[in-house]
Amino acid sequence: MVGTAELKFEAEDAAEITVSGAWNLRERNRSPTDCVAKISSKKSMASVKVRAVNLEAWDSSLVSFLVGIVEVCKAQNSSLDFDGIPAGALKLVDLAETSKAADVQISEKRSKNPLALLIGYLVAAFANSKNFIEFLGETCSAVAAFFKRRVRIRAQEFLVILQDVGVRALPIVALISFLVGLIIAFISILELAQFGASIYVADLVGISMMREMGCIMTGVIMSGRTGAAFAATIGTMVVNDEVDALQTTGFSSVNFLILPRIFALALMMPLLCMFSAFIGIFGGLCAAVIRTDLSITQYCMQTANAVFVNDFLVGIAKGTFFGMLIAIIGCLKGLKCGRSAEDVGLATTAAVVTSITAIIVADAAFAVIFASIGV
Amino acid sequence: MDSKISVKNLDMAYGGYVVMEGISFDVQRGEVFLIIGRSGCGKSTLLKYLLGLKHAGNGKIFYDGVDANELINGDDFYGRKIGVLYQGGALWSSMTLAENVALPLETYTDLSSREIKELVDLKLALVGLKNFEDFYPAQISGGMKKRAGLARAMALDPEILFFDEPSAGLDPVSARRLDDLILELKDGLGITIIAVTHELASIFAIGTRAMYLDVETKTATAIGAPKELLASSRDKNVVAFLSRGTKTPALTSEERRMLLNNPTEFD
Ligand SMILES: Nc1ncnc2c1ncn2[C@@H]1O[C@H](COP(=O)(O)OP(=O)(O)O)[C@@H](O)[C@H]1O
Ligand SMILES: [Mg+2]
Repeated sequence: MVGTAELKFEAEDAAEITVSGAWNLRERNRSPTDCVAKISSKKSMASVKVRAVNLEAWDSSLVSFLVGIVEVCKAQNSSLDFDGIPAGALKLVDLAETSKAADVQISEKRSKNPLALLIGYLVAAFANSKNFIEFLGETCSAVAAFFKRRVRIRAQEFLVILQDVGVRALPIVALISFLVGLIIAFISILELAQFGASIYVADLVGISMMREMGCIMTGVIMSGRTGAAFAATIGTMVVNDEVDALQTTGFSSVNFLILPRIFALALMMPLLCMFSAFIGIFGGLCAAVIRTDLSITQYCMQTANAVFVNDFLVGIAKGTFFGMLIAIIGCLKGLKCGRSAEDVGLATTAAVVTSITAIIVADAAFAVIFASIGV
Repeated sequence: MDSKISVKNLDMAYGGYVVMEGISFDVQRGEVFLIIGRSGCGKSTLLKYLLGLKHAGNGKIFYDGVDANELINGDDFYGRKIGVLYQGGALWSSMTLAENVALPLETYTDLSSREIKELVDLKLALVGLKNFEDFYPAQISGGMKKRAGLARAMALDPEILFFDEPSAGLDPVSARRLDDLILELKDGLGITIIAVTHELASIFAIGTRAMYLDVETKTATAIGAPKELLASSRDKNVVAFLSRGTKTPALTSEERRMLLNNPTEFD
């Protein structure tokens, strides 16, 4: 028989609840919450009695039911008697009640006032950017110290990171760039063919891959791949006290964790961007050869005529900058990570979103700057 | 004045959330000073302040009579003056145990790599981890991580060692061995030791003096030798904490079964 609770009103303000059967978490006990609702719906309640009749078995489903009754009796200011309820269950009810009473509020109350919320957000945003600028300052001075040879970074660590952000990223960068080149070419062929100018597809693909798409696509890939990994690694180190341990052993976390990562990305990103640009051009070539009557030689000649050294340099400069951006954001989000596993997830997400946004914004800024100085 | 560390009127808080207020105490050279209290009362937080990982807004901390704020920016404080064993060991996960212990030595001494290797072997042997030099932290158990963390904390023979719950999570034998090791460090090398601990057995075995942090009042309510605190403290929380083993009845088998979600048969 499943556990049941029956409520009887002996008088207008006196209730008796009979619990019986086998109370089992895994079975559906018969609507025990009903009792609580009915009692609390009464205007006043003087006494409640809970009796066990033929109670065959019990587990925490009974305890949780009884806790509900205790609460509602407290709210109604009524007396409560137990009759025949197992002592063990009552002890657990007591335990639950006392620890509820001792419940402390840890987090500060959030105000619902929209103005207060807005101010809160602004303060948080300000603190965030202050964090970022402080961190940037520390990083710059660490870089300076490195070049003055006052700081060394661990070669082994650096090489491992270098391998991870470099060689290991090649396949995914190649795949994405090839497809992007292909797509650009396909779309532009459709339009250009109407004017008999299909040959210019080489210019379009070459310049856009070299100056823009190579850097942006690599930046996005590396944000998701490497920026996230930096944030997760460093965040986990924070959770495990490893970052504190660095500091109390006298190592600066900036020198130890951040510098190798920034150097690795600043070194590898321009190479990856150029790699991406060439693969993209190759993608464009494939599309052009398939969809138009251009020959491979024609396409290559046209690309060589269209793309200048300055396009190449622009790509290199942007790649380096984006690389540093991704590394700094990933590391900062990791270092500012909270102390739980969930916080690591949040830090990782924040790293990806922030660095992708930062890359696009920076790219827009570069576009304006380069256009105005005419490179 | 021979106090190694002296804390005056320290307030501890995370943002607006106050953890403890007005903490003052002195730690004598060569003693084992215990910070005790129920979990969540702020023991680890107090360590963070002592270690300079959090900066004291109100209150001052002195090491050998020098303000900690000045020391922390100097060169010799971390590594040389203090060593720390964290709750989970906090080994650097990208390095082997040997590299973990060697790193402070490589950074702060001019020893040859052969001398460093000998020292690393010695320290790891002291904590019973001979032959585990080339293991990574992820490859060893929690207790071993703690011991390796201790080897790292001792790498540069610091003057003060901090322990955060050294015996938590260890089996009883390892826990007693760690206690013995702590006493040896104190008696043999004259190291001052500050430890956070829950374990009654450890408290009475190793503690020269203990300080009880009370969650309810958010202050330190008692300082003294553990046995004296148990015998004569007037604070009922302190006495309850120290006699916990005997006063609180254990759960009955019925309650235990219930907690495991097995319905109990009744008649
Ligand atoms: N990083 C943190 N941010 C906010 N509150 C914290 C943080 N760390 C600990 N606390 C709070 O401070 C109190 C003391 O924590 P802690 O010092 O870790 O306790 P314990 O004595 O168990 O070591 C706890 O109530 C905890 O919730
Ligand atoms: Mg703790």
